[in-house]
Amino acid sequence: MNLKNKLALVALLLFSIAVFAQNKTVTGVVVSATDNIPIPGVNVIVMNTTKGTTTDFDGAFKLDVKSGDALQFSYIGFVTQVVVIKDQKTLSISLKEDLATLDEVVVIGYGVQKKSHLTGAISKVTNESLDQIATSRVDDALIGQVSGVNIQATDGQAGAAPTITIRGVGSMAGDSTPLIVVDGIIVDSSFLGSLNMNNVESFEVLKDAASSSIYGSKGSNGIIMITMKSGVSGKTRVSYSTFTGVKTARKSEAYGTTTADWAQKQLDAGLELSLYTKAQLQIGTDRAWQDVFFDNGTITNHAISVRGGNDKTKFTTSLNYSNDEGVMLRDNFKKYGARIKVDSEINDKFKIGANFSPAYTERVRFSESIYNVARHQPWLPIYHTEETLRFVNQAGPYSYLQVGDYARQDHFTVFDLLGDDGINDILANIGNSSNQNPYARVNERDREDKKFQLYGSFYGQYNITEGLNFSSTLSGSFNDTKRTDYLGTLAREQASLAYMEEIVQKENYVIFDNFFNYNKSFGKSDIGATLGTSIESRNFFFSTITGTGYVNDAVKQIAGATTRTGDAFEWQKRGISYVSRINYAYDSKYLASFSMRRDGSSIFGSDYKYGNFPAASIGWNISKENFLRESSFVNNLKFRASYGVTGNDRLNTGSVDPDSQGSTSTLSSDNILIDYYPYLSLLAPSAYVDNGSIVTGFSALNVANPELKWERLIEINPGLDFGILKNKITGSIDWYRRTSDQLLLPNPISVTTGFGSALVNLGEVKNEGWELELKTKNISNEKFKWNTTLLATTNKNTLVDFADSAGQITQNGTPSVQPEWTNIEGQPISLFYGFVVDKEVPLEFRDRPYRHVGAEFGFVYVKDLNGDGVLDDEDKTVLGDPYPELIWSFTNEFSIGNFDLSFMFQGSHGAEIRNLADHYMFSNNNNVTLVANSLGETAPNQQFLINKYYTSSMVQDASYIALRNVNIGYNFSKDVISKFGITGLKIYATGQNLIYKTADNYTGWNPEAIDKASPTQYGYQLGGSPINSTVSLGLNLDF
Amino acid sequence: MKYKNYIAIILIGSFLSSCSDFLEPAPSSSLTTSNYFTTAAELETGLLGVYDAIQGSSDRDRDLNHGVQYEFYVTEMRSDNTSSKTPDSEDASDAGQFENYTLRSTNLFVRDYYSSYFQVIYRANVILGSLGVVTDPDQAAAIEAEAKFLRGYAYFNLVRLFGDLPLIDRVISPTETEIQFTRVDKNLIYDLIVSDLETAVAGVTGTSKNRASKAAAKSLLAKVYLSLESPEYLKAQVLCEEVINSSSPALSLQSNFYNVFYSEGNSEVIWAIGYQAGLDGESQLFSSEWLNAVGVSSGVNYATTDVKAALDAMGGNRTQYSYRLDPLTVTGTNRYQVTKYLPEGNTGGVNGNVFPGTPRNAGNDWIVLRLSDVLLMHVEAIMGSANETQADAALISFNKVRSRAGMPTKTLGVDKIEKAELLDERRVELAFENHRFFDLLRFKAAQSVLQAYSDANNFDFQSTDLLLPIPQNEINLSRSSGTEMYQNPGFLQ
Repeated sequence: MNLKNKLALVALLLFSIAVFAQNKTVTGVVVSATDNIPIPGVNVIVMNTTKGTTTDFDGAFKLDVKSGDALQFSYIGFVTQVVVIKDQKTLSISLKEDLATLDEVVVIGYGVQKKSHLTGAISKVTNESLDQIATSRVDDALIGQVSGVNIQATDGQAGAAPTITIRGVGSMAGDSTPLIVVDGIIVDSSFLGSLNMNNVESFEVLKDAASSSIYGSKGSNGIIMITMKSGVSGKTRVSYSTFTGVKTARKSEAYGTTTADWAQKQLDAGLELSLYTKAQLQIGTDRAWQDVFFDNGTITNHAISVRGGNDKTKFTTSLNYSNDEGVMLRDNFKKYGARIKVDSEINDKFKIGANFSPAYTERVRFSESIYNVARHQPWLPIYHTEETLRFVNQAGPYSYLQVGDYARQDHFTVFDLLGDDGINDILANIGNSSNQNPYARVNERDREDKKFQLYGSFYGQYNITEGLNFSSTLSGSFNDTKRTDYLGTLAREQASLAYMEEIVQKENYVIFDNFFNYNKSFGKSDIGATLGTSIESRNFFFSTITGTGYVNDAVKQIAGATTRTGDAFEWQKRGISYVSRINYAYDSKYLASFSMRRDGSSIFGSDYKYGNFPAASIGWNISKENFLRESSFVNNLKFRASYGVTGNDRLNTGSVDPDSQGSTSTLSSDNILIDYYPYLSLLAPSAYVDNGSIVTGFSALNVANPELKWERLIEINPGLDFGILKNKITGSIDWYRRTSDQLLLPNPISVTTGFGSALVNLGEVKNEGWELELKTKNISNEKFKWNTTLLATTNKNTLVDFADSAGQITQNGTPSVQPEWTNIEGQPISLFYGFVVDKEVPLEFRDRPYRHVGAEFGFVYVKDLNGDGVLDDEDKTVLGDPYPELIWSFTNEFSIGNFDLSFMFQGSHGAEIRNLADHYMFSNNNNVTLVANSLGETAPNQQFLINKYYTSSMVQDASYIALRNVNIGYNFSKDVISKFGITGLKIYATGQNLIYKTADNYTGWNPEAIDKASPTQYGYQLGGSPINSTVSLGLNLDF
Repeated sequence: MKYKNYIAIILIGSFLSSCSDFLEPAPSSSLTTSNYFTTAAELETGLLGVYDAIQGSSDRDRDLNHGVQYEFYVTEMRSDNTSSKTPDSEDASDAGQFENYTLRSTNLFVRDYYSSYFQVIYRANVILGSLGVVTDPDQAAAIEAEAKFLRGYAYFNLVRLFGDLPLIDRVISPTETEIQFTRVDKNLIYDLIVSDLETAVAGVTGTSKNRASKAAAKSLLAKVYLSLESPEYLKAQVLCEEVINSSSPALSLQSNFYNVFYSEGNSEVIWAIGYQAGLDGESQLFSSEWLNAVGVSSGVNYATTDVKAALDAMGGNRTQYSYRLDPLTVTGTNRYQVTKYLPEGNTGGVNGNVFPGTPRNAGNDWIVLRLSDVLLMHVEAIMGSANETQADAALISFNKVRSRAGMPTKTLGVDKIEKAELLDERRVELAFENHRFFDLLRFKAAQSVLQAYSDANNFDFQSTDLLLPIPQNEINLSRSSGTEMYQNPGFLQ
């Protein structure tokens, strides 16, 4: 053609476009090619414009288009399809499943990777309905969602953090919690309490060391990467979610004995009621104290988010509020959060973004240890009334009591025991405690934690050339906590005992990352490379003020005290890291990944500051081989194996985590500073008396260990991913062995150094286990879908080497109840140690067995294990350990028309717990006198009697099976709601822990509860704050 | 170009971050041994820390060091002077193991003493290791002398109690296990002690009676010379004479024996460890422990009938100020309490057990060295290896002690002093001041005296009881280190 012709053609084309490019509306439905089921949430975008929409719950969409527009349909797990609009008015799109939904993208730390190319053990959980679980913490919702992760409700109070353990406990340094990374920002695990689940897109759990070694020194306990929702291009979407529910505590039957029950027990045994029981029944109050302290609660959550943007700039912002009134008296957790995230492409090369999430939480704590207040007798009223004052001896020391005063057990001394209608028979000591009324102890004391937390980041990313970019990120988190504990003048009856403690903790954590990322395909080779540095600085501040001398409760502040004492100090921690990684895939068949991180930490001595953390992993997509490619049975089969080294530089020698239950101000500059500067010898004031006056000098507090180095963890992890029968059955199997050595431990050293102990690297711990994840699509058609997920994890914990401390026997518990622990090489780290119960002491030998309600005898016959006729250390043995051997979950999801239903059972087996609450709840301490029976004989073989807490009596099976979640939802069809301008509406009802079955011999409130203790003395509880069950109603609204 | 820029950014970042300071932040809330001891004044405050280690803690917590406060357990209670209130050979408690010679290597008090005095040595070594910062040579010499005085004192006590010892003459790290567990021949330990104390004699400038002074250094060195395997009698005699004739400060015996103990810093005291009543960190617990259940124990370091007999016979007017009948045991077997260190000088009422204030936090200074000890050492030095002396100088010194006690004196040129007589004089003059056991050793009388005492009381004395066991904890640690430490004979390995 000549030039004219060309011009004519162009003109014609232009004309025709002008003629045919008329606006029109297309509607359509997107279904899955595999089963013809509509797919909701498919992104439909008019290419090269900012126009777009998503499909509704029925897979339907409606969009204004012009002829010639190209519509792009994309959805995770499906092959993206492009359709050019000609004259169609309706479209029927059938999306092909991307092979095995495998090309999901997984966050791997400083980057992402295709799931099919993964060579490490990373589990991903997408927030599909996690935000419907009625809990105020995101970590609570993760229970049972990931294999290899044990999330234990070690403290059942509202807002209390669960204990998260990934693949077993591998550190003795006290901190076995995983690293938390939110949108690439490393935060303290306390941030799990301030995040809002509605904002969470997905969780990725990096389990094996090869995956987590990209975080080097921080990776040894595994990593939970949290991806928050980002802005989207297209129509601005507003979502509102809410739920509200009621919470009930799981009570203990064993701890629920009432006076009436106790009387019945005596009658059933053919006995006459004891005088004590008669007296106790007259008081007129009868309920176990757990009924008073477990007052049930409510939980409410509101979250609103706005997401939008165009193809250049995307934003999301949200606000949320939740109020979790725990199941206990006066425990409460309120959370206010906000979030904003903006990403913008300035031009083809340059992209910037910012992300900020402030949150404020207020936690009111149950102010006492539950066992200590719930152990009171069921007949004890809270307040005195005219009625109850009749039982107070007006000639005795409590004649001053008035109506409305708190009642105490030893106030009650006169009863009608002769049946003469006169309350004038004196009977002392009907109670088991002379402590202040338990309700007063809780109600007159205020313990609150107020926390402001903020995390955020700024980043800039520059595309240097195709596949290569450079990004620089400044991120940080800020944590400001104020804890107060006001013990009022009535809490202990004596105003002189009133006190207040106020603790302020501040932490700021700044990280500066600079990274090159390179991703490119050459023929059949895919290469991904990462190279960068990370510099971090943390500053901490701690202060405590104690006030005493409160005259009344008018000013519940430090200012109301007449005497104030305090302490304050600060400390720093710094780190430098060099990070590198190469991922290589050949033909998506042969996969390999190598990474190397070098970390420097301010914790260690000059010559030992740096540690190297290498990792290597390989994968083989067997299903891509010719012999399997055409298989109709096997759709996916991948073998992977990894090896990695990670580390730990977190010390916890004497400082206590103030977030843990019960602890207040055990933090002191002495121990916390040694934890952060162990390579230095710190000085403390050291005074002497010279010529009658005090002169102050300085001397060293600790011995410097300049050779202290990283705690090291080495892990190997072979695994298999599979998908069979058109991927109706998918899953993975992993085996791991993680060995931690060079553990950071305070250990005895020769006193010739000037000190008796020092921080050293010592010992070795091993964790081994299997992980199984199995997902099946049982039924899948347009009307009905049924999916099942089974997760199972086994773990075996072994103390391999414990040097001088091997075989040590130590005591721990409450000040008066101190059973023994031991640490034996070849067995789990912490072992319960003591005598084995033989039999109870017969009733006939017990002194007044029916004096206290629910009383058991405090001593028990134990076995003479070596048969030498005497009871000594030789008769002690290992009684159990607190580590579960199997944890599992079993989830079923159904979808029937507009309804969906899911439920999850979850369980844990093989762990024991030492429940010391029995000692208090069964009044064991007050009823240990033996008497002669009717024949004048005393109890035989008394040399084999010993206090129960030294025995297997209080070592109980901590296994449980729970119906963790049930969720029934209804999605309103779009036809109905679109009239109101609503794009999505769902209502649902959920239940948590509606069934919670414990082992028969477990007596407490929560078999998962464990009191904070050193890892060598782990696994005891004092009844535990209770398991909550929740029933709630919720609503999700999108417009 | 651009690549180069980015690489440059990273390199600069790396360079900045690898500056050593970044990874070594100095703690802002605490001093450290590496950033503190930088001037003479700061080293001075470190010296106070060394005294603090000798002073020990008055809290009975077994994890704390008690310094000189527990010294009576490992010295006086192993001699014929004291025992616990109720001596009982079946008593396997840690306090009961001393008096009947059934000591075990796990004994808490032995471990405490070993640990306390190595802490003194450590703290002195910290100062000696930092001396380089002092520019003024005189100041440096004075600080060095005082630190060495303290190190010499600590090693002198340890070597007499334990025999061969690890030789720690610098700050060592926890990983230097070979030094920690290698027992060096005691004569080499004595070489260090002599050298340290000679430095002290030359350089100490202080005059406080609660700290090192020239007189204290000389007295201590004199005692060391007398204690050597080959004693240096002449050197000891010269040093004693220098102390006796010293003018600044002038030393003299108190005319009233009572005032020696209840008038702190009196003219007779050469060196005492300072305490102040009531304050947890600065007070002492031994005064209360020696009474009937006033301290935590029911009563330890009670005077034996053996020492009572000696005091009754030879004490003169010292006897009444040395012991008393425990008022609470008058109905049963008579028990006798030491009265040289009654809390703040109070007697405790009719029953001798009710004290004003907090007797468990007593403020009585502990006298380490006093003039009569030096006077009697003077006699000892002149007597040398002989069994008696008639030298005037010896008799003059001896008479000073005797006449203050109201005892008959020796006539110059006529009378002589026998060795046994000198030992007895030391016993009654210095009773309960932790000298007896060391005196018996120095006079080579320990074997015979203690054997007789043990036999008379059905105790289990063996010649191996003259040394304390190395604390079992140290032996255990040495085993896993590869340098196994040997135990003293007579104790379980």
